[in-house]
Amino acid sequence: MVDDLILGMAGSGGDGVVSAGESLLSAASSEGYHALMTKSFGSQIRGGESSCRVRLSTNKVLNPGGALDVAVALNWDDFFRFGAELPLSVATVFIYEEKAGPPPATLKERGVMPREMRAVPIGELAKKSAGTDKAKTSVVLGLLSGWFGIPSTAIARGLKKKFGNKGEGLLEANERALATGIEYATAHPLAEQHTLALPTKSGPKLLCDGNDMCAAGALFSGVQFFGGYPITPSTEVMQTLSKEIWKYGGVVLQAEDEIAGVGAALGASFAGKKSMTATSGPGMSLKTEILGLASLAELPLVLLNVQRGGPSTGLPTKPEQGDLFQAVFSAHGDVLRPVLAPTDVSDTFKITVEAFNIAEVYQTPVIILSDQEIAQRKEAIDPIDTSKLEVLERRRPTEAELVDYSRFKLTADSISPISHPGMKGGNYLGAGIEHNEKGEPTASGTMHARMNEKRFNKLDPLKKRTDLFEVSGDPKASIALIAWGSTAGVCREAHALAVARGLKVKLLVPYLLYPIAEEIYQSFFASVRSGLVVELAHQGQLYRILRMFTDVPRGLKSLARSGANPFQPSEIVSRLAEMSPEVN
Amino acid sequence: MNAPAFQAKDFKSDLKPIWCPGCGDFGVLQGLYRALAAIGRPPHEIAFISGIGCSSRIPGYTTAYGFNSVHGRSLPIAQGVKLANPDLLVVVAGGDGDGFSIGGGHVAHAIRRNTDLTYLVMDNQVYGLTKGQLSPTAPRGLQTVTSPLGSLEEPINPLLYVLAYGAGFVAQATPADMPGMTALIEEAIRYPGFSFVNIQSPCVTFGEDDQQLKAHKAKMKTLASLGHDSANQLKAMDLARAYGTELYTGVFYRNPNPPPTYDALIRLRQAEQSKKAVPRNRILDAYLQK
Ligand SMILES: Cc1ncc(C[n+]2csc(CCOP(=O)(O)OP(=O)(O)O)c2C)c(N)n1
Ligand code: SF4
Ligand SMILES: [Mg+2]
Repeated sequence: MVDDLILGMAGSGGDGVVSAGESLLSAASSEGYHALMTKSFGSQIRGGESSCRVRLSTNKVLNPGGALDVAVALNWDDFFRFGAELPLSVATVFIYEEKAGPPPATLKERGVMPREMRAVPIGELAKKSAGTDKAKTSVVLGLLSGWFGIPSTAIARGLKKKFGNKGEGLLEANERALATGIEYATAHPLAEQHTLALPTKSGPKLLCDGNDMCAAGALFSGVQFFGGYPITPSTEVMQTLSKEIWKYGGVVLQAEDEIAGVGAALGASFAGKKSMTATSGPGMSLKTEILGLASLAELPLVLLNVQRGGPSTGLPTKPEQGDLFQAVFSAHGDVLRPVLAPTDVSDTFKITVEAFNIAEVYQTPVIILSDQEIAQRKEAIDPIDTSKLEVLERRRPTEAELVDYSRFKLTADSISPISHPGMKGGNYLGAGIEHNEKGEPTASGTMHARMNEKRFNKLDPLKKRTDLFEVSGDPKASIALIAWGSTAGVCREAHALAVARGLKVKLLVPYLLYPIAEEIYQSFFASVRSGLVVELAHQGQLYRILRMFTDVPRGLKSLARSGANPFQPSEIVSRLAEMSPEVN
Repeated sequence: MNAPAFQAKDFKSDLKPIWCPGCGDFGVLQGLYRALAAIGRPPHEIAFISGIGCSSRIPGYTTAYGFNSVHGRSLPIAQGVKLANPDLLVVVAGGDGDGFSIGGGHVAHAIRRNTDLTYLVMDNQVYGLTKGQLSPTAPRGLQTVTSPLGSLEEPINPLLYVLAYGAGFVAQATPADMPGMTALIEEAIRYPGFSFVNIQSPCVTFGEDDQQLKAHKAKMKTLASLGHDSANQLKAMDLARAYGTELYTGVFYRNPNPPPTYDALIRLRQAEQSKKAVPRNRILDAYLQK
């Protein structure tokens, strides 16, 4: 019995491996397994080769995992195209289409040769049972069910959903193909058993990706306006809201470009509505000027940046953590805007709600830095308890405050009640030019200093938000492991493995990336002598920002590499072990 | 008859304009006060959005809610305001550079969406705020500080530009004819849909002699006096070709059957979809795996 199973499949466009992965994911999640799926496509927009990875587990899945436990190749060329996404080990059970011929030499050249290589006449079985080799993936699902114990009832239910209304015996044909796959597996047992254990706790799961959870979080927060321009890998947020937002009295505007998208969103916020935009690298670059306007005019605004490889067009379908500097520093003028980062699909929901709350309460733009992996991996997650989540609103002026109203009134907490058009007595001039308390333009250095102070001071309370930091492990541990965004999932697993090996490691995952909460880091660093800040970007941007704002322990190093090269828990553990003189 | 609800002075703020004495924008501001008084909406129900430039300072000189935003982006921001709250009266203003150079790409889209707003361009054929550089509406060959040897480009024709994209209301005015300009601004605001008024507003400091009020007075011809039928879109385009040579004032084109506005359509969609709303705590149910 195993409690964790990583499967990978590759095929050409017509093979439907991604759809097979989706069936697997949905079957497993309906049985109560935790599951995660990532997919990858070749360079063609449509019809090209594709691959997917599915990780099934009886416990919470923290990341897509490393080497495959099970690999499925419908033909060799397509499989090798996804070499990086589908790494093998000697323990991998490798299933391939018999017709594709024996494994080419390339497989050996890649260094590892799986012990168990299974040639299966997949196409032939499909033709025999279903009358068409289009049913290949149903045969594959049958093989996976038979060999690895993935419940066939759930897979059959999935087939019913998919083919039930397609008519002409399609469902029956695929059911026969599934049964044939199962029979074949039973008749040809594996040398070593790999049966997946039953889920520990069954119960309903949410099947979604990070972009789904951002859209849902926005709706939960009461978003009333979305302005944006399509760009991979963020577009799904706009697509979901385009369906949903109207129900709640909101609007989605597909703008003519990213500047117009964020501009319209800011206009809606000026008009008093909760509003957001979403984008990725190139679009983020275009939105920068309006972000500065939002800061100066003190208008709430949520901006999601789903990071992809950069600069420029870079790697549009791959994750990278290279936009932190941009989120924090890309502005003219001396300005501070909060930056938050979710670490997985589930917490994208809460982080989005948090972003809206911070934007509204502090009257500021807030950037959510997601990345391609979190945004687009499909996951079966435990339901999210929303009963304790607060939804906050901007502080509006009272009747008394509307008498001789000052939009930018200097107050004890530096937050001024904010009016909006339609509110009698609240009339003011919003502007990008510096202003006095009334909102009137000024070129006074004294006033500029005072307003800057206000804009910085109002955000100070964020630095005390310990709830925006996950700290785990022995508080006195001398080795630190720090990670943010999707890399945090890998590091959580690495941390557990390291502690199990007896290493004295503690983990810190910031959800608030900026402003830097100096005291929270400083108290975490108190026991730290060495450690790693793990980031998927050549420069290791959080590490450098930490060095700018905190006294980083001398032994704390950056473990950084370019995007699209995901870290494996094992390599992080080895690095931590090197840092630990006392144990190994 | 009842006394009008508002007078021009109700729209005048306490801020003193930074404009050079004699700047055409003063006249535009006066005309706007009067037009707004005639419209009769209270200042707090008006959102007045602009970009950056001398002309873009105008919202601050009114008592309406104003947003003097960034260069070239007034139209997207204004559409956000109007779509977020269609009850507001939204007026947009800015210069020729703001609207037809840096912000030029947004004009076509504001028109194709037909959001109900009024766009006033204060066209002085020059960059006033940055002190006299070449503008996209300046004539070919014009010598300015950035074209000291004469410009090598044709100007953009703002009237043809908006007519070509199908704007429902297109007019031209000059503060040299105050009553005419005031009436046109009012008519533009009343038009249900995207409306555009190109206001020839002289820059006394950097503008050309033939673009001053005195020259306007000598040159201007009302379209009415030419017998132009403002329902005739093709004729409107034909007349608009004279931009830069003739100074025609009045309504070039007014769609006699205004199509539904974007803001009205989104309201319909919201009303129709609102039945499908679920309570906040059930939003995630859509992802529940059964
Ligand atoms: C992004 C950006 N680029 C350049 C400027 C500088 N700038 C301010 S106003 C302006 C042109 C103003 O000309 P126009 O829009 O015709 O307005 P006018 O001053 O003539 O009324 C320029 C280039 C700016 N503010 N922002
Ligand atoms: S520079 Fe020209 S446009 Fe600007 S205020 Fe002076 S006269 Fe008016
Ligand atoms: Mg100008």
